[in-house]
Amino acid sequence: MKLRRCLSLIRIGIMENLQWRLSIIITFLGNIVYLVIIYSLWNAIYASSPADTVNGMTFTDTMVYLVLAMTIFNILNLYIVWEMGRDIQSGQMIINLIRPMEFRSYMFFSSLGGNIVHFFMVFIPTFIIVNIITGGAIPIGLNLVFFLPALIFALIIYYFIDFLIGTVCLYTESTWGINIAKEVTVLLLSGAMIPIAFFPDGLKTVAAYLPFQAIYNVPLRILTERDLSVQERFFMLGVQLIWVAVFYIASGLFWKKSIKVITVNGG
Amino acid sequence: MTKEKNGAVISLGNISKEFRTLNRREGLKGSILDLFSRNYKIIKAVNGISFDIQPGEKVGLLGPNGAGKSTAIKMMSGVLKPTSGEIRVNGVIPYNNRTKNAQNIGVVFGQRTQLWWALPLIESFKLLKDIYLIEDADYKNMLELYKSIIDLEPLLKKPVRQMSLGQRTLSDILASFLHNPKVVFLDEPTIGLDVSMKSKIRELVLELNRVRNTTVILTTHDIGDVDALCERVIIIDKGSKLYDNSIEELKHFFGSYRTLKIMFDKKAYNEKTLLTDVDELQRLFGGIEHADGIVSVSKNEEWIDILVDEDKCAVVELLSVVRKYKKVADIKLDEISTEEVIKRIYEGD
Repeated sequence: MKLRRCLSLIRIGIMENLQWRLSIIITFLGNIVYLVIIYSLWNAIYASSPADTVNGMTFTDTMVYLVLAMTIFNILNLYIVWEMGRDIQSGQMIINLIRPMEFRSYMFFSSLGGNIVHFFMVFIPTFIIVNIITGGAIPIGLNLVFFLPALIFALIIYYFIDFLIGTVCLYTESTWGINIAKEVTVLLLSGAMIPIAFFPDGLKTVAAYLPFQAIYNVPLRILTERDLSVQERFFMLGVQLIWVAVFYIASGLFWKKSIKVITVNGG
Repeated sequence: MTKEKNGAVISLGNISKEFRTLNRREGLKGSILDLFSRNYKIIKAVNGISFDIQPGEKVGLLGPNGAGKSTAIKMMSGVLKPTSGEIRVNGVIPYNNRTKNAQNIGVVFGQRTQLWWALPLIESFKLLKDIYLIEDADYKNMLELYKSIIDLEPLLKKPVRQMSLGQRTLSDILASFLHNPKVVFLDEPTIGLDVSMKSKIRELVLELNRVRNTTVILTTHDIGDVDALCERVIIIDKGSKLYDNSIEELKHFFGSYRTLKIMFDKKAYNEKTLLTDVDELQRLFGGIEHADGIVSVSKNEEWIDILVDEDKCAVVELLSVVRKYKKVADIKLDEISTEEVIKRIYEGD
């Protein structure tokens, strides 16, 4: 894989995403609506509890966690499954298959520009605003150094999962149902909707052995928890790396097998 | 043709491609039944095609819709794997080395674009330069060459989504030649374009082929494209190779044939005559000087189609004969269609 190709794809991805200024603004507005909902919901939950902390998290902790989870969702979710499904249905897929690059990395670097734009346009502003409002609820220090690789690994795992699901479209030629099922599973079991600390013990154990918590829970805990030791942080990154390797192999093998069934619609 | 690969840039050896498609039942009840039991049928899109193509050749793959032309292109570009047979493009088996093959080919699909929709054309070019690892000097040379053929500057700054279909197709062709590939596949490049754009695109392809000695494989069902661009024509019909020879040889089948379509004025129609329009016309033409130039006369809904060999008999001459006796409401002049050529090849053998 040549770096020149990857950088150029990232560059054009960023340029393409910056074209859609309105889309970024609407993402922002949508986030505010979502914020109002989760604020009211968790306010009610904490109001009905006798203690200030529930499952080891204060109301502020929970809100910070969920707000950041939402922005990470904005960074990671680039609708790869939807895009692959659409390209397969319309036959546009063939254009990506005649490039002198492996399809999986071509798609990854094509979409990476979008991830980067959302990181700077949604995550960074949210991070600053949250920290101002809460008076520094998110620590700034070594955690940031660990957060960046954690976020990159999360991105890769998420991409490979999307790619796997997108590959299924080669068989079904339809994406909607599968994509919704995936989305809900990921959002719930990753701790993006409800922090994993609030899960019942049984589900907590199940979630710990599943790859989804490596997408949201790991980077969020690394970012927000003050009392994590360096060893614990390294361990979490290690777990992520294992999932990266697993999905790298799985999505690669599945694609190789599936590309043989391709028929390419149209013309 | 010899089995030796004697320098051929593309060789297809007895290629077949089958698709399995679902036989859908009719109606709502059928749709529900389809959920439970499915009934597949095998479609042979390509059926035992062989040919060799030499470097720098311009070859037209001609055939009606659904003949298997696009399937052949998809196999040569490495996207589809043939069910049986072997393909070599630049010495590489495309479907086993898709990325390696992609470096040496350029592809244009007339109905799709490989350009970045939202951005000016120059950005697509810059990206392709990096993706195909084109050297700076080569890239510059290519742009200079483009500029010598067409007016490139205004196109470069234009976002692709604002382009007309013709400009976009032109840009797509430029993009496919950018990395100086040994072979370029043009799949229906002139579809939906007007006459002047068609000729512009033909000129561009001819010039690029001449300067860079790029092998050009063109699929089309427009015989005009083939006539303007190709030295050699391969006709594919129902998945099989029907004809593979020079364009001159093919002209023997369609010559300078054109179809004159005439519609008579209904009001002036003489009810008393017992002859049909077709018979009447044939009787009329029987008396004229160059009657051997008239290949056939047939009725096609309200139009009368007269297939004429213009080398022998001028259309104008025919028209004046007809107008002496009948009131003509409307006329049309068509190039011979691919279907007619194919029909004539079948009949000629």
